Amino acid sequence: MLSRNAQGLYWISRYLERAGHGCRLVQIQYRALQDRTVDELDRTWARLYLSLGREPLGGRLGSNLDDEDFMFADAYTLTDDLTFESDNADSIRNCIAAARENARQVRNVIGNEMWTSLNLLYLGMRDLGVEDIWSDRTGNFFVNTQDSIRGFFGIADNSMYRDNGWHFLQLGRFVERAQHMTALLDAQLEIFPSARRHVESDWRSLLQIAFARGAYSRLNSLDFKPGPVVDFLVSDRLLSHSIRYALEHISSSLDVVSEQRPLAVEARRRAGRVAASLDYDWPNRDPGDDTATRATLGTVSNACRRLNEDIEASYFNYEIEDSPR
Amino acid sequence: MPDSPQTGDETPPEQSLFANYRYDPRFYDEMFEAQAAPREHCRDLWNVLDGMAPEEIAAMQERAERSFLQEGITFAVYGEEGAQERIIPIDVLPRIVDAATWDSIERGLRQRIRALNLFLADIYGRGRILTDGVIPVDMILGCPQYRIEMRGVSVPRGIYVALCGTDLVRTNDGFMVLEDNLRVPSGVSYMLANRGAMRAALNKLFRQYRVRAIEHYGNLLRQTLSELAPRAIADPCIVLLTPGVHNSAYYEHMFLAREMGVELVQGRDLLVHDGFVYMRTISGLRKVDVIYRRVDDDFLDPLAFRPDSQLGVPGLFYAYRLGNVVIANAPGTGVADDKSVYAFVPDIIRYYLSEEPLLANVETHLCRNPESLEYTLDNLENLVVKMVGESGGYGMLVGPASTPAERDAYAKELRRDPANYISQPVLDLSCAPCLTEQGASPRHVDLRPFVLTGHETRLVPGAFCRVALVEGSLVVNSSQGGGGKDLWVLPE
Repeated sequence: MLSRNAQGLYWISRYLERAGHGCRLVQIQYRALQDRTVDELDRTWARLYLSLGREPLGGRLGSNLDDEDFMFADAYTLTDDLTFESDNADSIRNCIAAARENARQVRNVIGNEMWTSLNLLYLGMRDLGVEDIWSDRTGNFFVNTQDSIRGFFGIADNSMYRDNGWHFLQLGRFVERAQHMTALLDAQLEIFPSARRHVESDWRSLLQIAFARGAYSRLNSLDFKPGPVVDFLVSDRLLSHSIRYALEHISSSLDVVSEQRPLAVEARRRAGRVAASLDYDWPNRDPGDDTATRATLGTVSNACRRLNEDIEASYFNYEIEDSPR
Repeated sequence: MPDSPQTGDETPPEQSLFANYRYDPRFYDEMFEAQAAPREHCRDLWNVLDGMAPEEIAAMQERAERSFLQEGITFAVYGEEGAQERIIPIDVLPRIVDAATWDSIERGLRQRIRALNLFLADIYGRGRILTDGVIPVDMILGCPQYRIEMRGVSVPRGIYVALCGTDLVRTNDGFMVLEDNLRVPSGVSYMLANRGAMRAALNKLFRQYRVRAIEHYGNLLRQTLSELAPRAIADPCIVLLTPGVHNSAYYEHMFLAREMGVELVQGRDLLVHDGFVYMRTISGLRKVDVIYRRVDDDFLDPLAFRPDSQLGVPGLFYAYRLGNVVIANAPGTGVADDKSVYAFVPDIIRYYLSEEPLLANVETHLCRNPESLEYTLDNLENLVVKMVGESGGYGMLVGPASTPAERDAYAKELRRDPANYISQPVLDLSCAPCLTEQGASPRHVDLRPFVLTGHETRLVPGAFCRVALVEGSLVVNSSQGGGGKDLWVLPE
């Protein structure tokens, strides 16, 4: 497979995963607008922005007012910023446009159905502004967009030949997921330290972002406590949005693609080491020690960044001298 | 269309598709031989279309357009803002060509391409045709498309032009070649896309007419390219080289790569090492044998041609000269579709094949000759004037459609560099019914069949049929806002 094609597939899924995550964050935040206090909303907005590594538009958050109009005005501006802002490289629309641009580059290696679903998603959003989606049912827009993104991955799941191309699509998706989940957990612990008296809804919404609330409730309790929630999102092997789950998929896709490319051995080792540390070291940690937890998250995040560099260097932009012929 | 009150069972006459169709006796009509009298082979089509409700036809048109947009069958018009990704207009009323007509076209095209390949081999070799004085030497050597670098390069089997797309028009005097596109002709994907849309829309008629298939074009193309491979390799590595997504024909590049099952590469995916061309894959470098390039000569190799090219591959021409890779079409083929060389193609056919040309040329005045220049200047409002090196309808003056001011400005340019221009009479291009707001209406059409040459010459029975969408307009180029329609070739 042509390096540029592999790179294109990798970035299609990275961008789409990023867009989907953005939608999910806004959707959950929007749900909170219905019944949380202004104070609580401020903190969840802060979590959201911190996890994306972005400054909210207009600087620091913090409405000192118990003013609901103000709260909605804020939400309007911030939603626009996250969704349509052209200067925000990671805005949902920009991510979808970038995914589609990558797809255009590799159209000859993806099926028509995949292209069409992505193209329609893009065309449907291209000319929208926040005023078009702002209504009683703003959440619907984000739900529908996520559905379309899942639709794309569903088509890929059901139609792609499981060769290297497929595995690059998987790699992009799960490298992205591992990164945004570590960032989200880190932001959570920054805004809501576990030593402080916790508000359940702050931890419930965290689970919701990761599609984990139902499973968590079944396995644990309806008691949304910091320790078990973090543990679940980091190390559960069956939860599709856990870090451990993402690492497992990264490793197995790397196993396949590196059969042909020994240069990637280092990347495989790296992913394996992090997964192993979650299996063997993580259970022994002190759940109350946020500093240690965040250090572990930092290790995972670093490893993901390095993984991305490894993949770029071994498959996409390698030196000619390093290449077997 | 506004709702009109229905009175009883009577259908108002303006409802039928052809009710307002005005047969124009000045032009050959592809469907009718007289007012309301369809040609024999068009009768079934006419019956079916005329029996359809306007809403049905409109829905058919809308479905076709929507499928084009979804598929991304788009075309960019340079120099037009916001024109990125406009769909190429499709007209849903097919044009039919009977078996005998197609057969004569096909024979004419085969003859023409055979002669043109011999011509190219000659002018990049010994140059007999020049020393024999059939064509002026300076016209060839002075042509910007003549690549001195190609002198003495051994081209496998002498196939310079492996792919061409010849523009044909039908006039009251029969078919004529308007131009030979021998560099990087495009449009074949639109031919196939139009077919796809029409097959879905008029499936029953398709079966009834036993329309000849064109869907195997991708196979033929791949086979042709394989036959060009530099060495006898069982499975040569073929790639399609595109300038990238911003090229106006990117859709076609992508489409053809997928049809053939070959990699679609850009310049940066390729590199030359020790005289061989490689592409960068995830499992290392892979040797490339045949490059179907959709990049112009100028941009192929910054070391051999334009040094500022970002689209090409440094050293590619070196590898080509060594015979380690084949480029199709060969660099330098543009000299043979230069508009002044065009005037000599009948002589070229006679010279190399000792045959009379089967397809006529359009009468062409070379403004390099003083008397032709005078004639052209005197008759500007009745002529079509073209720049010799241009294509795609750029740099062209259509006399009857021009204003005096435009003609004056053009005449000034013409006088400055006469050798750069040719003029031709305004052709009475044939018409075919096209769907308009007022129902079917005649529009001028041409057709571009695609000819492949490997071990043998092959073409699918079909063509990209271009339509001048503006009433009365003679300009069918996609880059000038023309559209396309499906062309049905009938079996014997």
